[in-house]
Amino acid sequence: MLNRILAITGKEFLHLWRDPRMLAAVLLMPVLMLLLFAYAISFDIRNVPTGIVDMDNTPTSREYAQAFDASDLFNVSYRADTISGVDAVIDEGRVSIVLVIPKGFGKDLLAGLTAEVGVYVDGSEPNSGRVSRAAALALTTQYNRELAVRWADLNGVDISAVGGLEPLMRTWYNPELKSSDYLIPGLLVVIMMIVTVQQTSVSLVRERAQGTQDQITVSATRPTELLLGKLLPWSILALTEVGIITLVSKWLFNIPLRGNLFAFALGTFIFVVCGLALGMLISSFCNTLESANMMAIVVAFLPSFLLSGFVFALEQLPEWIQWLSCALPVRFMVELTRDVFLKGAGFAEVLPEMSFMLIFAVLAITLAAHFYRRRLR
Amino acid sequence: MDQLAIASTDRPLVKHFRAVVAVAGISLEVSPGTVFGLVGPDGAGKSTLIRMLATVLAPDSGDALIFGNSLVRDTEEVSARMGYMPQRFSMYPDLTITENVNFFARLRGVKKAERKERSAKLLEQMGLTPFAKRFAARLSGGMKQKLMLASVLMHEPDLLLLDEPTTGVDPVSRREFWEVIARLRADGKTIVVATPYMDEAERCDQLAFIDAGRITRQGTPAEIKAMVEGTLLSVLTTDPHETATVLRDARIAGVSSGHIFGDEVRILAKDSALAGERVREALHQAGIPYELNAINMDMESAFAVLAETAPVQEAADA
Repeated sequence: MLNRILAITGKEFLHLWRDPRMLAAVLLMPVLMLLLFAYAISFDIRNVPTGIVDMDNTPTSREYAQAFDASDLFNVSYRADTISGVDAVIDEGRVSIVLVIPKGFGKDLLAGLTAEVGVYVDGSEPNSGRVSRAAALALTTQYNRELAVRWADLNGVDISAVGGLEPLMRTWYNPELKSSDYLIPGLLVVIMMIVTVQQTSVSLVRERAQGTQDQITVSATRPTELLLGKLLPWSILALTEVGIITLVSKWLFNIPLRGNLFAFALGTFIFVVCGLALGMLISSFCNTLESANMMAIVVAFLPSFLLSGFVFALEQLPEWIQWLSCALPVRFMVELTRDVFLKGAGFAEVLPEMSFMLIFAVLAITLAAHFYRRRLR
Repeated sequence: MDQLAIASTDRPLVKHFRAVVAVAGISLEVSPGTVFGLVGPDGAGKSTLIRMLATVLAPDSGDALIFGNSLVRDTEEVSARMGYMPQRFSMYPDLTITENVNFFARLRGVKKAERKERSAKLLEQMGLTPFAKRFAARLSGGMKQKLMLASVLMHEPDLLLLDEPTTGVDPVSRREFWEVIARLRADGKTIVVATPYMDEAERCDQLAFIDAGRITRQGTPAEIKAMVEGTLLSVLTTDPHETATVLRDARIAGVSSGHIFGDEVRILAKDSALAGERVREALHQAGIPYELNAINMDMESAFAVLAETAPVQEAADA
């Protein structure tokens, strides 16, 4: 049994060495994805084109507007002292947020009254709209005066509907712009999910297409032996990939690793086996390389982004979606990673997540072996 | 003689693919140390039969005994003594000859020292030693077949199942391949081989004609040829198609079959003298130059004739 597993592992390694370009792609892809995603997502919240309508034009109002000017988040590209042009600049897309400081702002504040400001958000781009809105609120809070913010939105975004996301947004885009702390650990997980599922999704399909599957079958190799033999080299590779992107994110984004590194490593190992086993499962019932590839993309991408808590906090989603997210290991790994990185968790705290992923891995391998066997006969 | 290499049970092998019947019920008896040939038209079920015997495909029903072990129940024992060479090249294109041979032998549990010794010996026998480090993808058709055979022989199986091993291989490699088969037979191995080539069929000890998922005729090559009644007449001509049309239209009595082989038309006649006369008349009338000879029955003609005549009694026993 072990001998056959090792024989298959050895063979898989040979395939890898044979194709250095593929090996390089496999190792570099996660890094590339990390950089692209990380910057794409953080760019969203930088240099938001902003308009300031200062109808008050007092030292106090100018001081308040200055807070926006100084922030990386807002790029003040439109200034006026009357509200009349605001509709036009938003319509043209020149700005996506406008801060309106009404007349009497400075006087009210100095008199100890609650002053009001208006914020107009371009709702046609809901994400950056939401982000800017949250950031404006944060800045205003930071401005540390008694201000009531009156929101108004254009283009029909229902603020009460997106309002549920507000707490999350505030954590991400906190005033110090340390969004990456929260974002990157989740991103690592999503990337690993995408990468691992893809790596094995064509594995069995290729054996079938090459006819080598028959030769493996006649040697009385059991499906489980074949699967384990194939999982071993890929999980080593996947662990290397995780190591690389973890180092890159630590170095580039200065992510703290507060918890137990070994807990993270063990969790990661179980998780990559989950991903690879999921790929095998896809491979066990797909007919062509193309369909296996497509299936891998659908299975890996969508749930990783939507059901992992990486982008949308799971607690905010409908209950049935929360249940659905439990069907995939990715949400548990996102939790585990954040717990270890940010909350300083050790083995004990992440034991539930690990156990769940372990169950998933065993289940996926068993199912893949089952489908593989059934297709043979 | 010892135990049969393949023995039938009272339950013949059956395999369907959805609604299509691939093997309708076949029982085989193969003596050890013989070459057993499977011939028949494409789609007759030869490959399906071999794949079932190779334990790659599970029969819908039925069983066979391979060296006394049940094909269905004792899969592991059966596969240990058996080597299967599929019709298609099925080795890893990105691995070298040595790596391929080694990998499959390792899966079969062949020990390292034995692997080294046997692969050296087999590659030498197949003339592959100079190419041992070449990737399988870069081998010629003949070398690919030899690589597969070498790989199949690594665990020293007693029974070899070869599915059209020489299809698409050049004539020289084909001859070399059969020399290897003859050597293996001399070593006491049992070989079941499907082949579309009648000259290869003639080299087998036993032949089974398979048609529509059943064995319709079985025997030694000589017996098979003897099953065809009548005399074979060869009409050598410059335009065999025209000649065949003319002869068909002439509706000569006692002629049961006509086939084109290259630039000759072969017809099978009950009474060769009478039929010969009528052939001469018909061709003379049509103004076609020809040369008429009575020839010995060969496998090729026998196959062509037998493939089109309805299976007789034998089908009922099978």
